[in-house]
Amino acid sequence: MTRFLRNDLAEEVLGDLDERFYATVKEKSAVRAKLNYWYETINYLRPFALRKSRHTYLNNYEMIETYFKIGWRAMLRQKMYSFIKIGGFALGIAACLLISLFIADELQYDRHYTDANRIYRLVGASNQNGEIHKSIHFPAPMAAALKEDYPEVEMTGRYNNSELFGAGNKEVRPGTQTDNSYDQGFTYFDQELIDILQLPFVYGNPQRALSAPRSMVITKRKADKYFPNENPIGKTLIVDNDETNPYVISGVIEDFKSTSHFQFDFLITTSGLEFWKDEQKDWGASNYPIYLKLTDGVDPIAFQKKATKGILDKYVLPMLIKDGMSMESAQEALANAYLELQPLTAVHLYSTGIQDGLAHGDIKLVWLFGGISIFILLIAAINFINLSTAKSANRAKEVGLRKVVGSNRGSLVTQFLTESILFSLFSFVLGVCLAWLLLTYFNDLSGKQLSLPWNTWWMFPVLTVTAIVIGVLAGLYPSFYLSSFKPIQVLKGQLAKGSKGASLRSSLVIFQFTTSIVLIVGTVIIYQQMNYVLNKKIGFDKEQVLLIEGAGTLNNQVTSFKNELKNLPQVKTISVSDYLPITGTKRNGNSFWHEGKVQTEKAVIAQKWKVDGDYIKTMGMKVMEGRDFNDAMLTDSASAIVNQAMVREMGGEDLIGKRISNGGETFTVIGVVQDFHFESMRNRIEPMCLVLGNSPSIISVKTSSSDMASLIESVSTIWKKFAPHQPVRFAFLDERYAAMYADVQRMGKIFTTFAILAIVVACLGLFALSAFMIEQRSKEIGIRLVLGASLPNVFRLLVSNFMVLVVVSIVLATPIAWYLMKKWLEDFTYRTEISWQVFALAGVIAMAIALFTISYQSIKAALANPVNSLKSE
Amino acid sequence: MIETKLGEFEEVILLLVGILGEGAYAFRIAEEFKSQTGRTISIGATHSTLDRLETKGFLKSAMGASTAERGGRRKRIFAITALGKRVLKESRDFKVSLWEQYPAFAKFSPSPI
Repeated sequence: MTRFLRNDLAEEVLGDLDERFYATVKEKSAVRAKLNYWYETINYLRPFALRKSRHTYLNNYEMIETYFKIGWRAMLRQKMYSFIKIGGFALGIAACLLISLFIADELQYDRHYTDANRIYRLVGASNQNGEIHKSIHFPAPMAAALKEDYPEVEMTGRYNNSELFGAGNKEVRPGTQTDNSYDQGFTYFDQELIDILQLPFVYGNPQRALSAPRSMVITKRKADKYFPNENPIGKTLIVDNDETNPYVISGVIEDFKSTSHFQFDFLITTSGLEFWKDEQKDWGASNYPIYLKLTDGVDPIAFQKKATKGILDKYVLPMLIKDGMSMESAQEALANAYLELQPLTAVHLYSTGIQDGLAHGDIKLVWLFGGISIFILLIAAINFINLSTAKSANRAKEVGLRKVVGSNRGSLVTQFLTESILFSLFSFVLGVCLAWLLLTYFNDLSGKQLSLPWNTWWMFPVLTVTAIVIGVLAGLYPSFYLSSFKPIQVLKGQLAKGSKGASLRSSLVIFQFTTSIVLIVGTVIIYQQMNYVLNKKIGFDKEQVLLIEGAGTLNNQVTSFKNELKNLPQVKTISVSDYLPITGTKRNGNSFWHEGKVQTEKAVIAQKWKVDGDYIKTMGMKVMEGRDFNDAMLTDSASAIVNQAMVREMGGEDLIGKRISNGGETFTVIGVVQDFHFESMRNRIEPMCLVLGNSPSIISVKTSSSDMASLIESVSTIWKKFAPHQPVRFAFLDERYAAMYADVQRMGKIFTTFAILAIVVACLGLFALSAFMIEQRSKEIGIRLVLGASLPNVFRLLVSNFMVLVVVSIVLATPIAWYLMKKWLEDFTYRTEISWQVFALAGVIAMAIALFTISYQSIKAALANPVNSLKSE
Repeated sequence: MIETKLGEFEEVILLLVGILGEGAYAFRIAEEFKSQTGRTISIGATHSTLDRLETKGFLKSAMGASTAERGGRRKRIFAITALGKRVLKESRDFKVSLWEQYPAFAKFSPSPI
């Protein structure tokens, strides 16, 4: 009651309450009396009885001005510490700023399309033995079927960017020129898909752009490249030197934004196009990603169930039965399949595990980066807190005096908060400058084109507000700590200097170092995995193989070209095939059965690669059983060489000499090749088989020399004889292979950067702290020196304190790092082992760095003249 | 004519103060109220009203004796001021005149002051 009651009323009110209490006790019971007392007390919460809050803020404005002044002077007085506080903070802020830009960019993918919340990508999933396989390729007629059968679907549209169908990268030139350029981003596209996405057009009519056969829509940047300064509508483009079938440009769209997962440049119409007879009606082949726009208010989850049942029963089941399957096996095959609708805005970040051939971000990375940046900011804030409390002894007298003169706790807290806001503002300014300077490096690191949004109206206010908020948060603990000094103790000089809060400071240092060590371990392991992946036995020899791409234009001259190349002295073997064991080359999926067992057995899904007789030799693969292809044997045109995985999938018994069928064709197995990795090591090796066939776009040249430059020159000369109007394109198999793991490389670089950053900030803190601790003990050190301690003695003494902290950090960090890395490596079916040496290495690095940081101060202290510290007592 | 009007509760409290005379402090007044009307009121409510009446000038107060029951704390005794008396009289006159005009109560005559 005394808390809220006015002081002058206190006496009479309390007296009255007491009287009532005793009266009630007499009349009723003690319990009732107590209850009644409470009741009466609460009843006194009336306006007239409440204490008026102290109006201490009347002269606030002037006070704040003085706070700033004093804060500024305090900062100048301790330049080194101030610099470290501000510098560390600025680093943390710069990191946070850059990462927020990154995260904002990632989260914005595909949101700019009209009605984006009603647009979905169709995903087909099947549950095979607990593993869920997802794919986005569907039969050609499915899109139209979905639209017709279901009123919930407003529109559907497809594209097809598969290289097998002629999309992807091609030679192209305007109809009026003869020289080809090699360009990328070709895809087949439905007019309906343009409607769904509402692509903005620069020239041409959006509604009819792709309705005519052989029409093509190109992006503005390609229009500028091939038809500078003119309207290209109606002009022709000749693709792959096919002069009899030019494409007519019917529209120019704005370039696809960088924040969209659609990144095409040439949209070829699907109108009037079929890739084989009745291909557009064929439910047996799945090659088209489908996008749907649902009508307003439709629940996607309910719809996907409905559509699954509808489509499978109405179209897929009959197709399977027509193909020869029995009703039961068809139903069994479809039992675990279902359709899912993936929101358009989720495609960029949530598509891991879906093989769609597009580059995606990963929501996990977004979380990871966000987490790391927060940690770094935390470390910087901890520095700030530590240093503020450590130097508090210097401000103690000031605090004591202020309290004596009449300041209350609130004002003191305000004062120190103001100082911390001042620091924070400085750090923010510095941090923003740093971020701006580091932007190019960060763009390189993250693979994006980010820029600071100077022009938005909200940037400066948001930054200022954040600076103030963070200043307040980081300054809360030191402010309360500093304002709690009792004036008597302080002015008497009894305050044990710097001893307060030592344990908190130590635990904060441990936190900093633990984070740093986790980052170091992460970096080392990522590099280890990188090395493993690049050097593991992959089942083929990727060294010294030159790839000549775009050889498809040679058409039937391929064989003569190949023979001429063979004459070059450096060339060992040559193979012509588009199917290579690196991502980005052709792939397919076919079903195989033992001959005659189509009805009775489950199909084995395997790749069918068309190669030539020299393929295995050129790739350096090993034939384990049976034999290689032999160009002389005519029967080999119906032969197949399978890999070990395929043998396993097909039952494990000896396949040599047996026949397998796929679609309409049957092959005799003549050999088994050793398993080789043809996808990233994230995936296990799938079954595949090699057959002789013509897929002539890539020529692989195995060379014995390491002089690539002269080889390239010789090949170019020969090439010009065969295809004078086309630039020849080279690549190296080992480089391409390394590029498959570009994302791992990038992770490695990122982790290194962050690890360095975290350590720098932590060391700054350690440096300042150690300086402070040593300063505290300068008298003690002086006495020790006088009494005969030698440099090593003193050094060891000073350093041991901190080394204990680092050791504790190592112990804490090890299990955390181990767990995190284990989870990351699980993504890879083939991975390195985590060995204890990594942790030992990280620990040693951490200790070395800590030692180095502390040494400077320690040595300086140990070499000091004891007279200086002892003479003032 | 005095502008301020007395609410019913205020009037009762004011009268009780007059009735109790010397022993008019918050607790006593609350008890008296209970014995007169049968309704219990909290001390806070009466104190609040007393304070308000004092601000309006109808009451004056002074600190009184302390007793053991109150833990040695003194009590605040309230007394009616001349202004308070006048206000009470005006209120009563006004009400009585109204009642006399009301046909059902016309038999009652005002009691001498």
